[in-house]
Amino acid sequence: MMEIFQEWYDHRHEYAKHWKKKNKNGKVMGYFCTYVPEEILYAADILPVRILGSHEPQDVTEPHIFGMYCPFCRDCLAQGLKGRYDYLDGIMISQSCLHIRQAFTSWQIHIPISYSYYLPMPHNLQSKHARPYLRNELAVFKKSIEDWTGQKITEQKLDEGIEVMNKNRRVLKQMYETRKAEQPPMTGLEAMYLAVSDQMIDKNEHTQVMETILKKLPGRKLERSTGTRLMIIGSEDDDTAFIKMVESVGATFVVDDHCTGTRYFWNEVKPAQDRLQAIADRYIDRPACPTKDWMNRTRINHIFRLAKDYNVQGAIIIQQKFCDPHELDIPAIQQMFKENNIPTLFLEFDVTVPIGQFKTRVEAFLEIMQEEDLF
Amino acid sequence: MRYFAGIDIGASTTKSVVINESKEILGRHVVKSGADLPAAAQVTYQQALREAGLQPRDIHLIATTGFGRHNFPGAQRTITEISCHTRGAFHYFPRPITIVDIGGQDNKVIHVDGTGRIINFKMNRKCAAGTGTFIEEIAYKMDLPLGELNRLAKESVKDLRLGIYCTVFRATEILTKIRIGEKKEDIVRGVFCSVAQRIIEMDPLEGDVVMTGGVVAHNEIIAELLGLLTNKKILLPPEPQIIGALGAALIVIPYAEEKV
Repeated sequence: MMEIFQEWYDHRHEYAKHWKKKNKNGKVMGYFCTYVPEEILYAADILPVRILGSHEPQDVTEPHIFGMYCPFCRDCLAQGLKGRYDYLDGIMISQSCLHIRQAFTSWQIHIPISYSYYLPMPHNLQSKHARPYLRNELAVFKKSIEDWTGQKITEQKLDEGIEVMNKNRRVLKQMYETRKAEQPPMTGLEAMYLAVSDQMIDKNEHTQVMETILKKLPGRKLERSTGTRLMIIGSEDDDTAFIKMVESVGATFVVDDHCTGTRYFWNEVKPAQDRLQAIADRYIDRPACPTKDWMNRTRINHIFRLAKDYNVQGAIIIQQKFCDPHELDIPAIQQMFKENNIPTLFLEFDVTVPIGQFKTRVEAFLEIMQEEDLF
Repeated sequence: MRYFAGIDIGASTTKSVVINESKEILGRHVVKSGADLPAAAQVTYQQALREAGLQPRDIHLIATTGFGRHNFPGAQRTITEISCHTRGAFHYFPRPITIVDIGGQDNKVIHVDGTGRIINFKMNRKCAAGTGTFIEEIAYKMDLPLGELNRLAKESVKDLRLGIYCTVFRATEILTKIRIGEKKEDIVRGVFCSVAQRIIEMDPLEGDVVMTGGVVAHNEIIAELLGLLTNKKILLPPEPQIIGALGAALIVIPYAEEKV
């Protein structure tokens, strides 16, 4: 019953092209970072799709992005340069890290597109100035979208946009929560397809499908044993090959802290009279990306909470090669898990990962946790 | 008396060990892994059996390990080389140890507590600098027989240092050293020194350090250099290259009852 999410993931481009045909004059916006306020896009009847890589070795980005920029930002730009996103009407980014911003600006320069927008998302979210700052930036952005589409975004449309996003987040979170069960009714691989496809598909449709599945999900029995309950932590991650490998050697991912996973949908917009402020607050209060998690580091408690709530036995911490913001947090995350007697395994990811070598590490990691068997 | 076998199908060589339930090694054999892993595993298993004076039917349980561990259909268990090296090294040194295993394509640093449990482990990333493959490459570039390197390095009297990353850049650096007239003995010692430094930068070495694997088995100067650089006594088990295979065989002994 979960196959549809993988189908959407595998055929993301066909889906978006089909959506455009179905929605006469419908615009598709490619976005590079999950701090992009999709509420405003939905309010303008625009389909937001997240630009992701394809996990294939490529040779087109070298002239545009430094070699020591992360493999993910290079992979994203490669998709554009290869014309796979040729249906996009616009692209946008919210300021998060320099690497993905380089992919965005390079896209602006080298791939003709009629609309592009850089949203200056503040970094110091803990400053009292962040909230009015972002609210005003959202107002400027909303105006830009109105000018582009030629249509005013009314308060009512904004409410609709908020409701589409909130409902989707709520149902997706309920889907995730079924994984707290002793025998989770979905694998980590299925959960990855579920959450990542959510960033590609019209939320109305995605929510509707989830609601149908959610009714049957708690009773679903997987014909596999759960094994060791794992959490996976890192930046963006749609490396399905890795997840599949880990789940083939006696483990199940039960929760994640990824911006392709929980960080994307974990909290909702709290309705308020000032809609733009309500939206701004939602992005400021969401589980933080490490680029925005200071002066105080709030991620650690949040990750600990997730690990407890989902009864996690071990955590795999991944780092996209050269991703400095995430690397900075890794010692603190490892320390927290160590203090709570939850073993961790650190792995460095690239566009493709060496599955054979990683398999040895993962199996050894699982052997250590189940070690009564061996020693 | 029951008998057990461990087969370590590694990236460079495949090793088999046959033991009895008193944990005595009765046979062992090492071959190059080559391109046909099941064949290499079979050959080395048969040879180890022959040395032990046993037939396949005498073997109670077989465990495989190493990167090619799924290439021996007759095995009852497959276990990662991390756990097997730990079990094998702990057999000789039952106390808190740090195991440094240098293999054909992997370096491992494994921290083990006083009960033989793994505290944590690290392996090299994608890069093969400082592994057996690195040494093979340098021997090839310098046109020296692999088997001569240990002896040559021992004749060196100069502390020549090379960078520790990247096999390809090391080869270029060595060309520079040759051009300015450095002696091959000193260069080879420098190569081994870079292997030891690569290990040191991977992870802190705590407690007694035990080295295993084929590279140190054939080039024990690496243990000497690692000791020199860390000011620690480096311990070597009797046959460092077969420690993984031995560990695999030791791990399955307690499972003998289950099979009956």
